[in-house]
Amino acid sequence: MVMMRCRDHEIVVVAELLEGRILPVTHEVIAFALALRGGDSRFIRMIVPGRDIQGMANELADVIGIDVIALEGDHLDPYNAEAWKMALSVLLAEWKPRYVCIPHTSRGCDFAPGLAAGIEASCITAIEGVCNREGLITFTRSIFNGKVMMQVASDADMTVLTVLPGVFKAEEKFSTFPDHKEGRVEVVRVPEVLQKTRVLGMIRAEERDLDLSIADVIVSAGRGIGHEENLALIRQLAGLFLKSAVGCSRTVCDRGWLGYKHQIGLTGKTVSPKLYIACGISGAIQHVAGMSGSKYVVAVNKDPGAAIFQVADVGIVEDLTIFIPLVIDLSRTDPHSPA
Amino acid sequence: MMKILVCIKQVLDPDCPVRIHSSGKWIEPDSHGLYRMNRFDEFALEEALRLREAFPGTWVDALSVGPERAARTIRRALDLGADEGIHILLDDERYRMPWETASRIAAYAGNKRYDLILAGVMAEDDMQGQVGPMVAEIMGYSSATAVMSEKLIPDDNRIYVERELEGGHREAFTLTLPALLSVQSGINRPRYPTLSHVLRARSQKLITITAKTWNPPAPRDHIVCLVEPAPVKSSVFLSGSPLEKAEKLVKILRENAWL
Repeated sequence: MVMMRCRDHEIVVVAELLEGRILPVTHEVIAFALALRGGDSRFIRMIVPGRDIQGMANELADVIGIDVIALEGDHLDPYNAEAWKMALSVLLAEWKPRYVCIPHTSRGCDFAPGLAAGIEASCITAIEGVCNREGLITFTRSIFNGKVMMQVASDADMTVLTVLPGVFKAEEKFSTFPDHKEGRVEVVRVPEVLQKTRVLGMIRAEERDLDLSIADVIVSAGRGIGHEENLALIRQLAGLFLKSAVGCSRTVCDRGWLGYKHQIGLTGKTVSPKLYIACGISGAIQHVAGMSGSKYVVAVNKDPGAAIFQVADVGIVEDLTIFIPLVIDLSRTDPHSPA
Repeated sequence: MMKILVCIKQVLDPDCPVRIHSSGKWIEPDSHGLYRMNRFDEFALEEALRLREAFPGTWVDALSVGPERAARTIRRALDLGADEGIHILLDDERYRMPWETASRIAAYAGNKRYDLILAGVMAEDDMQGQVGPMVAEIMGYSSATAVMSEKLIPDDNRIYVERELEGGHREAFTLTLPALLSVQSGINRPRYPTLSHVLRARSQKLITITAKTWNPPAPRDHIVCLVEPAPVKSSVFLSGSPLEKAEKLVKILRENAWL
């Protein structure tokens, strides 16, 4: 079925599409693949699964200069885990690349582990770094809400990797490769087979609160605020600033303390305010991914080991129910009057 | 009668101090016993219990792969209302990679004819998010992860699911049963144990499967080491009494003209 047999394509990148467009996260995964292969694009090829995607595949191959497989099938668009796993596993079982790189997005996380299980590959998820330890390639990922990092190595011939968004910077211009050339494109058609999964389509999120995206200052609450009543403190603190808004981590939404439109992080909103005050937030990568673009970060948490302190400019180890009222009081006094 | 299996994991509370074990391969076991059910699995168990309420006669098994201490978390599942607790007992505190855990669960569940398997979207300790979809693959079940809503279609052998995408969007599918769903946090509000369940669970024995029952699955990957994270920014910790810290912070906020 596959014409273009390339033993030297050691790394395969699976593109992420939404409604017929390649998502930018795909370029980050290409950047990761390049880091993994010492910047040599000749060893990388991309698979774009979908319908009527040859044009897009041509464009990608031109711009990025790597070989692209347009994996064509009516049942591959919209996304369907079962169909994707089946179509990809046929190709991968034949090519046997060393690495299959997939974005660590909702969909990437949905099909990567099953794909790996089916092709006898290792699976390593949410990768933030790669290093070569005396010839042993290890992948770094966060555990325990980012308090500890785990370095994992594969023992299998093939390894499926999901790459955390926002870590590897996409190249501005891929044409800077020393060996830049146009990539080749091949179309592989996948026959539709009877499926147990039927796609019903997307359900759009309710309109988001615009406050978070335009705020200069965001005061954010995490599980560490302890009780719903303590949200009043967070609101008062936010109220001290002009153009401010209240955000939160996922747990706060899950408990019903704030609506999901306030959620900041991988599955919520990405923000980059001038000042971000994290109150009782542990700093799991899922949250940090949504706020790491903040210009200045203040973190208040009574756990000195909380991972949020790794991304903070200023850290305060304190019980926020004691600390925040003090800040509110002090900020209301005239700084020029003698205390 | 519908049979549901819920996969639960016992984790060390990530809010506790976490120390790397001297072997460098996992963390120090906690002597104070600050282990509890993975929160994401609490949502999965709650979803199973709600399905049993909606479809009386449904049977709910709760299963965990773990060392002896994991029995306490399985008992917690019984307290919450699971019908049966299954413990796949590990001999030691060594960390197992997701593939090894998934293989053990699939080996147990393989001939049990579960209509539905539920799991949390990931574990709070290793944050892998792999065991659920791997179990589905090994068993040939259809699957969906990050499920935010699910509805059984009676007499149709299918289940309707909505899974969460970035930015709060969702995508909807129907899956033919048997299926495995890994549920996202926030799908429901987990309940508290009721006295009647607690009393019943007290005398109930767990089904314990020892490690020797099957050959151990061949690992496909391993932990090289655990390390402390390197700070991304060189953060300054404010020192002093709470009041002194507050004064320092207000000064910083004023210097930057935020206040």
